[in-house]
Amino acid sequence: MATTQEIEDLIARVGLGDRVAFSRLYDATSAKLFGVVLRVLNDRAGAEDVVQDAYMKIWRHAGRYGANGMSPMTWMITIARNTAIDRLRQTRATVDLDGVAEQLIAPGPNPEQSAVAAGEARRITACLDELDTDRGAAVRGAYLEGQSYADLAERFNVPLNTMRTWLRRSLQSLQECMGR
Amino acid sequence: MSDVSPDTPRDEESLLAAEYVLRLLDPTEEARVAARLAREPALAEEVAAWRARLSGLEAEVQEVAPRAAVKTGLERRLFGLPSRAPFWQRAGLWQAVSLASLAVAAFFAVQSLQLPQDPARAPLFVSEIAAEDQSLRLLAVYDSQAAELRLTRTAGSAAAGRVLQLWAIAGDAAPVSLGVLPEGDTAAVILPDALRAGVADLVLAVSDEPPGGSPTGAPTGAVLAVGQVSAL
Repeated sequence: MATTQEIEDLIARVGLGDRVAFSRLYDATSAKLFGVVLRVLNDRAGAEDVVQDAYMKIWRHAGRYGANGMSPMTWMITIARNTAIDRLRQTRATVDLDGVAEQLIAPGPNPEQSAVAAGEARRITACLDELDTDRGAAVRGAYLEGQSYADLAERFNVPLNTMRTWLRRSLQSLQECMGR
Repeated sequence: MSDVSPDTPRDEESLLAAEYVLRLLDPTEEARVAARLAREPALAEEVAAWRARLSGLEAEVQEVAPRAAVKTGLERRLFGLPSRAPFWQRAGLWQAVSLASLAVAAFFAVQSLQLPQDPARAPLFVSEIAAEDQSLRLLAVYDSQAAELRLTRTAGSAAAGRVLQLWAIAGDAAPVSLGVLPEGDTAAVILPDALRAGVADLVLAVSDEPPGGSPTGAPTGAVLAVGQVSAL
């Protein structure tokens, strides 16, 4: 696995239209992105198509990826995940959900905030374990499998509004736990 | 740990950001949040914070290598063919244009630009800046005495709401902007001092950019057309 710095450098070169860098970036990251997409779609042929779409977006948007505190892997995974969820819901994206729009505007965390964010990321597993099993599973279902409130309500056999209240409370608890 | 409903607007904003990141909002709400992100940095920060928080779950995703055909297919979709070299070193783009045909093209370019053809004048250099599929094509003639690069667009145009920006690339150096091309078919730009001596080895490229040109000083959109400069 390439380091964060190596991946950032590759993205910067891809932004200049460097196809060799793009090839290396793909080699270094495609197994992770394919894993993410496959987890959402659970369909290999569809996932292959979506991972190509995701890398086409990465090629087009690489010039606008600034090293502004968001990890390059998180940036790429966000693109892959959103592309997969769009496919899952058969919605042609009408809004920019590739994590690009807000990056252009947001000042980006300072190094201290980035370090805090990295620390928080490592804590998420422990904090999810503090939640009731079902609630932790619901957060994972939403993030890793792209499940909607309706999907989750069906899976846990609760009314939609109950699911919504549940999940929002779980997210609040999660935020509080990770901030400790 | 508290287990109560959100009671402050800030909590509500943070939860909205989390739902946005998780893709739990319905398409209308989602579009509304996406539109707000462009003008509300505080909300954009909440979204970034939730992306960072939840990114730790990425570690739970098992890596699965896609079939080799996926990469080949991707490169074909993006570039037409598999490629190993940076765009400005790709032979297919410009070496296929033989010097003979380039000279013919340049002859007509010189005619159409009505450059004086005094043999005593300083050397001329030409370049055909073209897309692989010829969807965009410009002829460039450089008059070294005037240090002026004159361009004639013979095919293609900027996409709606976008502009074409011209770049000069010397060797491995980063592209230098020569400016946004006007809407008309012809343009003239003065080549920066630093690039004049090495003009014969320059590569010219045109990229797709937002109105006003690249906000970063480097190409941000797709590189649409590329051409090597040659002495005439």
